[in-house]
Amino acid sequence: MVQQQTLDRAFAALADSTRRGILERLGQGPATIGELAEPAGITLTGMKKHVQVLEDAGLVTTEKVGRARQCRLGSERLDDAMAWITFYQRLWERRLDGLEAYFTLKRGIDDDTKGTEQ
Amino acid sequence: MSETTETIDLTLTRVIPATPEEVFDAYTDAEQQKIWFSILDEEPGVVEIDVDLRVGGKQTAVWGPDAQTLFREEQTFLEIDRPHRLVTDSVGWEPDGNSMTTRIVVTFEAADGGTLMTVHQSGFPTPEVRDFFQSMAWAGAFDRITAYFRR
Repeated sequence: MVQQQTLDRAFAALADSTRRGILERLGQGPATIGELAEPAGITLTGMKKHVQVLEDAGLVTTEKVGRARQCRLGSERLDDAMAWITFYQRLWERRLDGLEAYFTLKRGIDDDTKGTEQ
Repeated sequence: MSETTETIDLTLTRVIPATPEEVFDAYTDAEQQKIWFSILDEEPGVVEIDVDLRVGGKQTAVWGPDAQTLFREEQTFLEIDRPHRLVTDSVGWEPDGNSMTTRIVVTFEAADGGTLMTVHQSGFPTPEVRDFFQSMAWAGAFDRITAYFRR
């Protein structure tokens, strides 16, 4: 189940506040490792490691631009995660609305046949 | 891995106008499910439901607007306590083949006006992920979900 594993990696990557900070920063536009490291107050080496985790999880993509490495948001995995919440939201809406309608209808029919007041 | 593995739990409730026994049976019976699962569909679509109601047995639901766009959910029964409580592991499949596993606990309690049905689903992404969604492009999506599940 490859997709489940990538999803797990994405959730694990997001469990760290520094990495969430990186994603929020990249949400405003691409940045180099150096541009990410300085405001975060961590070393280039440390930032490279965080970016690597995010890249492995499919949350960020990087490319070499001159002597720097440019990072940008790759939101595919987050879209996947959100899709699951939506999937179950729709499923439960369908189930509870369906059950409610089913018994409301049944009760209406029973009441009509018995001639009892609602 | 030293990362947190805490998950988001979703809880929703609804009062269904029938007794706990009636609701439990309608919820778990394949023939009744086929009726109520699509009772509100405006256009006919695909609905296939199979139930093997015993601990270790499975319930499979396949549905969608057409045969090319099918969703699928397979629940494995872990606990069956008619008409009070039902515990299952659920695997959902989207049409593209992606899947995800969650745990579902459904309880049925006699209440004013019928049966209070409570669904508790766990195994969703971490709270950090939820916070991230809220602060980013998906702002509002979880609010809508929470609003629905509290209805």
